[in-house]
Amino acid sequence: MKNDIKNNTGKKNKLIDNKEEKNKQTLNSEIDNKTEKKSNKKNKPKYSLEHKKFLNKIRLKTFFVIFIQITILIAFFGLWEILVNNGVLDGFIYSSPSRMINTLAELSRSGELLTHSLITLKETLLAFVIATGIGFLVAVLLWSNNTIKRILEPYIVVLNSLPKIALGPIIIIWFGAGTKAIVVMGILIVIIVTIINILNAFLNTDKNTILALESMGANKAQIFFKVVLPSSFPDIISTLKINVGLSWIGAIMGEYLVSKAGLGYLLVYGGLVFDLDLIMTVTIVLCFLASLMYFLIALLEKIVKARH
Amino acid sequence: MNEIITVKDVSLIYHSKKFETLALKDISFKIEEGDFVALVGPSGCGKTTILSLISGLLTCSSGEILVNGLKPDKKSKVCGYMFQKDNLLPWRTVEKNLYVGLEIQHTNTKEKKDYALSLLKKYGLENFKTKRPDELSGGMRQRVSLIRTLALNPKILLLDEPFSALDFQTRLKVCDDVLKILKDEKKTALLVTHDIYEAVSMADKIIVLSARPATIKNIHTLTFGRDKTPFVRRDMKEATDLFQKIWSEIQDEK
Repeated sequence: MKNDIKNNTGKKNKLIDNKEEKNKQTLNSEIDNKTEKKSNKKNKPKYSLEHKKFLNKIRLKTFFVIFIQITILIAFFGLWEILVNNGVLDGFIYSSPSRMINTLAELSRSGELLTHSLITLKETLLAFVIATGIGFLVAVLLWSNNTIKRILEPYIVVLNSLPKIALGPIIIIWFGAGTKAIVVMGILIVIIVTIINILNAFLNTDKNTILALESMGANKAQIFFKVVLPSSFPDIISTLKINVGLSWIGAIMGEYLVSKAGLGYLLVYGGLVFDLDLIMTVTIVLCFLASLMYFLIALLEKIVKARH
Repeated sequence: MNEIITVKDVSLIYHSKKFETLALKDISFKIEEGDFVALVGPSGCGKTTILSLISGLLTCSSGEILVNGLKPDKKSKVCGYMFQKDNLLPWRTVEKNLYVGLEIQHTNTKEKKDYALSLLKKYGLENFKTKRPDELSGGMRQRVSLIRTLALNPKILLLDEPFSALDFQTRLKVCDDVLKILKDEKKTALLVTHDIYEAVSMADKIIVLSARPATIKNIHTLTFGRDKTPFVRRDMKEATDLFQKIWSEIQDEK
């Protein structure tokens, strides 16, 4: 490695090529290789040996964390499979990874998986978008007018502590046993938390900074767009992340109640006919979809942050 | 010289649910264009309140204030306000921070922007214009904050303990810089400070306030070392004497 670094001005590319030919690569040199390639492309300043060692250490650590994470996942499902196969656990009650794969294949072949997933996804997204949008606007209204905020505060507090599932029967009677009722359920669950979180973020804006802009003659709208909104950005993103989880809860809970279609319906159905394979499979699919949506929000955060 | 700020018999009462507080009582003073005036007094006596009244952020309960011949209005653009905290927006670069005031006043023209940048260059911060505020030292941030205020080209600068968040060495340095900037740009300034030495080393005139409710206890006009920097002036014999005098005036109040 020392030689590589010493020579890396002229013969670097050749060296890398040579290295790649050798299939036996230690992790360190592989990482080293990558950094060299990168620095080659972007023409970054050359790092000292100590700094490279430091970078390697960080990468090794990350690699270790990911490695353990994957190991835990494999061990969990592997152990599950083994225990069921050896008869320690009853496959009928606990299902097993292989049975789940079979169920997943069956569900995909019949098209049921796609239909039900799309229905639930649609309900979740609708609830998420509507509730976040309206919640945000209400928070802006409450921030901009202290009197309205004081009037509405007790109602919001009561609505927040009310378990929304209790409104299930009312919602079904008012909106019919269908998509509408499920979306309304999702909206009710998401919107109050959105209002409270975003309003708090707005109210926590540094008073001195607001005063400084006021002294320059800023009006309420300018204060909102130039200080309050940008400084609340991290809190707004974390609210979005919370809302992803809450809108899934809303959609699944709604489907439990309405019981017509969707992944929540499949879960209820699986429970009724004692089909644990179906229940476990749907749960895994739900996990996958929910984390996908979460990562999309995280991606959005990265994009917006990079722009500003 | 012209009188640019006239404060006449001004009183102010702060109201809250449980009690009212008389913060200022019959305050009268005048400031001439180009003057550097310092307000000193026991802590909590209402120094900042006077700045808020002049900038139009507060309205007085009785009395009259004229700024540049008119009633104070925060939209009037006559006053620039500089606070203890620099209040730079952390998500904007130094350059974009300079434009905040211009954007607010809808005077975001190329000409004004260039003026702001020229100030930045003049006071040695040009290389930092693409940096974020948190990459700057405290002294640099405070100078950027001053340039942001100056970019609006106010006639009067209200300085509310602008150096008290800085460490001692930086404070001495920034004091010199700020006074030079203000004198160069020919601004009238009103400085609130709890640091008597700061007042003695920078001001042309020092107004000493009493404890709450604040009244004017004394007004000192400074004649020594006006061509010197605050750093030099601070150590002059006259400065030390005046410090002692003001110190005992304030001590009487406690």
